[in-house]
Amino acid sequence: MKIKGFLKDVGGASRVTKMRKALIENASPVPHPQDPIRELADALHPGKQKFVVTQVREASPTARTFRFEPFEENGVRSHIPPFQSGQYVNFYLTIGTSTVTRAYSISSAPSSVRGEKPFFEITIRRNVSYFVPDYFFKEVKEGSVLTAALPFSQFYYEPLRDAENVVALAGGSGITPFVSMAKEIAAGGLDCDLTILYGSVKHTDIVCGDELAEIAKTCPRVRVVHVMSDDPEWQGEKGFITTDLIRKYSCGIPAASGEQPEDMVDTTYMFCGPWAMYRVVRASMEELGVGPRRFRHDVMQQPSNVKQIPGFPEDQIGKRYQITVVRGVQEDVIGAAADEPVAVALERSAIPVDTHCRGGECGYCRSQLLNGDIFVSPLGDGRRAMDKEMGWFHACSAYPMSDLTIKIPIL
Amino acid sequence: MSFYKDHYQVVIIGGALAGLSAALQLQAKGITDILILEKHNLPGGLATSYVRGGVEIEATLHEMMSIGPKEERLKVGAFFDEMGVDIEWLRVPEAYRFVETTKGIDITLHAGFETMSSEIDAQYPGWGPKVLEFMRLCNTVYNSMNILSVTPMSKVQMLLKHPEFVKTAGYTAKEVMDTFAFPQDIVDILTPYWIYVGNPMSTLPFTIYAFLMADYFHGSYVAKKFSHEMSMKLERKAEENGAQIEFCQEVEKILVKDGKVRGVRTRRGDEISCDYVISGAYPNRVYTSMIEPLSEVPVGAVKMINGRRLSVCPVSVMMLLDGTPEELGIKDYNIFSGNTMDTDEIWKELHTTGPYRYLTSICLNLANPGCTPEGMTQFSITTLPLVDGFLDLKEEEYFDFKRKLGKQMISEYEQMSGINLHDHIVEIEVSTPVTISHYVGAWKGSIYGYSHSIDDHAVARLQMKEDDHYIDGLEFAGAFAISGNGMGPAVTNGRAAAKAVFEDLEKKGLMPGQEGGAAR
Repeated sequence: MKIKGFLKDVGGASRVTKMRKALIENASPVPHPQDPIRELADALHPGKQKFVVTQVREASPTARTFRFEPFEENGVRSHIPPFQSGQYVNFYLTIGTSTVTRAYSISSAPSSVRGEKPFFEITIRRNVSYFVPDYFFKEVKEGSVLTAALPFSQFYYEPLRDAENVVALAGGSGITPFVSMAKEIAAGGLDCDLTILYGSVKHTDIVCGDELAEIAKTCPRVRVVHVMSDDPEWQGEKGFITTDLIRKYSCGIPAASGEQPEDMVDTTYMFCGPWAMYRVVRASMEELGVGPRRFRHDVMQQPSNVKQIPGFPEDQIGKRYQITVVRGVQEDVIGAAADEPVAVALERSAIPVDTHCRGGECGYCRSQLLNGDIFVSPLGDGRRAMDKEMGWFHACSAYPMSDLTIKIPIL
Repeated sequence: MSFYKDHYQVVIIGGALAGLSAALQLQAKGITDILILEKHNLPGGLATSYVRGGVEIEATLHEMMSIGPKEERLKVGAFFDEMGVDIEWLRVPEAYRFVETTKGIDITLHAGFETMSSEIDAQYPGWGPKVLEFMRLCNTVYNSMNILSVTPMSKVQMLLKHPEFVKTAGYTAKEVMDTFAFPQDIVDILTPYWIYVGNPMSTLPFTIYAFLMADYFHGSYVAKKFSHEMSMKLERKAEENGAQIEFCQEVEKILVKDGKVRGVRTRRGDEISCDYVISGAYPNRVYTSMIEPLSEVPVGAVKMINGRRLSVCPVSVMMLLDGTPEELGIKDYNIFSGNTMDTDEIWKELHTTGPYRYLTSICLNLANPGCTPEGMTQFSITTLPLVDGFLDLKEEEYFDFKRKLGKQMISEYEQMSGINLHDHIVEIEVSTPVTISHYVGAWKGSIYGYSHSIDDHAVARLQMKEDDHYIDGLEFAGAFAISGNGMGPAVTNGRAAAKAVFEDLEKKGLMPGQEGGAAR
C-alpha cells in the first residue's frame, strides 16, 4: 500500500515523534496550577465549613428560625454557595458523647445568598422533646458557630420539567422548603405560581405563618391555604389534605378580580411531610391521575418507630447486637439496637458517618456489609442494583438483625 | 489511631477503571501490597450510575469497547476474563444512525465490517467493497496497535510485520481517507465517531481514528447493571486479591525526595509511605500542585504539560422519560446528528458554550431493556466541547447556564427527530465539566486526557515513554496516559502503569520470585 510515497510513508513514525519533541521543547517552562473549573466546582460544593448564627427568632410558639452567616477564621471566610429552594443543609454536630449529622431544609430564599450580607436560614420545630431539636433550642444562640455543608438534594423546582403552576403539599415542619420557594418567587428569582396547602393540627402549630401571610399579601403568585385537622375555632379549611381539597386548589391562583378557572390546570405537586402523610397524598395523586412526572417529594427520614416500616421483623424490636466497624486497618466494636439504623449506632459511639438525607435515598452513608444480616427499609431505598447484590447498604436505613462486621469510609 | 499500615509497596490514586485495572495487573504478578485511595464514596470514576426517584441512571456515555463475544474476546474482555472479573455484558444492537440535516443524509450502520459496508452500498451502490477495504485497513492498524502497545520491536521488524501501521502512522485520518476517494457523503458517514477521540479529522492521527473505527465496528457492549457493575466487580476482585481500598480519600500531595516517590498525603491529613504511586490525577495537577516539594518537579515535566493540549469533555443531558421507547417514538439506540459533518466547522462550535448542533443521543433501553422500570425510558443527549468556553463561568449563573444548555440540546434533538422529549421528562440532570470536576476531580473537568493530534501522536508517546518519565516511582494511569481516553483504553492504561512498576522492580531485582523480591 502507498499513501504518499514509500519514503514519506515509512518515515511517519519518526516525523510525528520529532513533532511531539518540538511541541514539548518549545512549551513554556512556567507552571500553571490554576484550574478554574475545579475552583467553580469547589465554590458550588464547598464541603464542610463553619458558619456563625447571627439571628434566632420565633417562627411559631414551638418553632425557631436560625440565621447563619459566613464565619471568618484565620483570615479565611466561609462561603455560602448558591442553592435552590427545596435543598437542604447538613449539620455536623457533637452533642454530649455523640457525633451526629442532621439535614434541614433551607427556609430562606436563594436570593439572600447574593446580597451584601449573604445568609441562609433553617427553621426547626420542637413540639416534643427530641435529640437534635433540643440541642438547637437549648444550645444554639446568636454567636454560636456550627459546622455544616450545603446544598444537597434534587427537591427543587426544575423549569426544564415542571409545570408553571405548583401546588405544594406540606405537613408540620415540612413547610420550610416552601417558605424558601415562596420568598424566591416574591423576589423574582423563580418563575412559577405557588399554592401552598399546609396541614397543621391547630393554628398555633403553623410554622412561619406570619412570613407566609406577608408574602401572600404582597405577591400575587403565591397563595397559602391552611388546613386544620383539629381546631374547632378555625375559620378556613378543616380536616386533612384530601383529594377533593387538592382538586379544589389545582385550578391556578385566582386573579385579583376573583375570577378562577373551574378546571384543574397542568400542575406540579411538591410534597414535604412525614411518611404517614405521604401515603395519603400518594393515594390522592393516583386518584387524580397525577403521574411520576408531576409529583415530586422531598427526602423523608426513616420513621423513628420501626413498626411503621413495612416488613420490619417485629420480633427483632428490643434486641441488641454488636457491630465490628472496619475503617482501614482499624477495627472498633460497638453496641447497636436492632430497631435503630446502623448510622445511629455509629453516632452514639461517636464514629463519624456522613449521613445526609437519613431516608435511604442519597447514598452518602454508603457502607459495606462484610458479615451478618441487615434489614434494609423499603422506604426510599436508593441503592444501586449492583450495591444491593454485593452487600452494600446505606447506613441510615439499614438495621442490624445480627452481629455485624461493616466497613465504612475513614472520615 | 491509624487507619493505614506503616508502608505500602504501591499506592494507587483513584479507584476508577485505570486504577483498579492497574491493581489487578500488579496482583497477577504477585505484587499485593497495594492501597487504593478514591476521592468519591464509590469506585469507577465516570463508569458509574446514580439513583433518582428510585431509578438507577447511567452516568455517562457508557459503551464498553474491546470486549468481544465470549468465545472471541478482544483485549479488554480477555483481560477481565483472565482476572476472573465476570460481568454480564449486553451487546449493543447498532453502531449508530447518522443524520445530517443539510444534505439529508440518514443511514443506520450496524457492527461488523461486512454488514456496515453493505449498508453503505445499499444507499451508495458500488461503494461497499471500497468501504470494506478501508475498514480492513483500519482493523489491521487496530491489531498492530494492540500488539505494539505491549510488545516493543525494532523499526525494521515493525515495517516487516506491521507495514500498514508503519506507513499510515505519519498521516492524519483525512490524508489516509482521501486516498480512497470516497464521495463526500461516505466520508461524512464514516466520520461521526471522531468526537470520541476529540480532534478534527484534519489533525487526528489516522492510527487513532483507525483504532476507534475498528473497535466500534467490532461491536460494543454495556454492562447489564450499568457501568457500576463493571466498577464494583473490578473493585471486589482487587479487594479479594488483597488490596486495601479506601473511599472518600482525596490525595492532596505526592511526597518526593531526591527524585524518588516516598509517599502520599491525603486531604484528611494521613501521611502514607510507599515505594510507588500510580496516579489517576492528571499530570497537570500532579506537576503543578501535588508534588511536595514542588522543587522536585523537573522543568521538562512542566514543559510537557504546557505543550500538550487538553482534549474534549462531555456535556450531557440525562433524562428519565415517562413512556416506553415505542410509545415515545424512539427507534434508535444511538444517533449522531448535526447540520454538517465538517469537523473543522464543528470544532469551532465546540470551543464555545453553544448552541451545539453536533449531538449524540442514546436510548439505553434499546441496548438494555431492563434498565428502567416498565413504562419508562432512559435517554441521554451528549456533546463533547472543549473546556475553553467554560473557564469564565460564574457560580451565580451556573444553574441558569446548565438549564439553557439542556434546553438547547433537547430542542435541537426534537427538531432533528420530530420526537417530543420535553413533555415526558420525569428526571433530568445536566452535567458539565464542572460536574465532572466535582465528582472525579479531573483537571479542568476534562476526562479525555490530551488531544490526539498529529503532533501529540500515540505512536510518538510510545516512542517517548522514557522521556516522559520524570520522577522515579511515579506512574500515570488515566485518559492522559499513552493509550488515551475511553473506558477500554483506561483499562489498558492501568495495565501499562502496572507494567512500568514491575519492569522497574525487575530492573532492581525486586520482583516476587527474584532474589530480594517479596515472596509470592
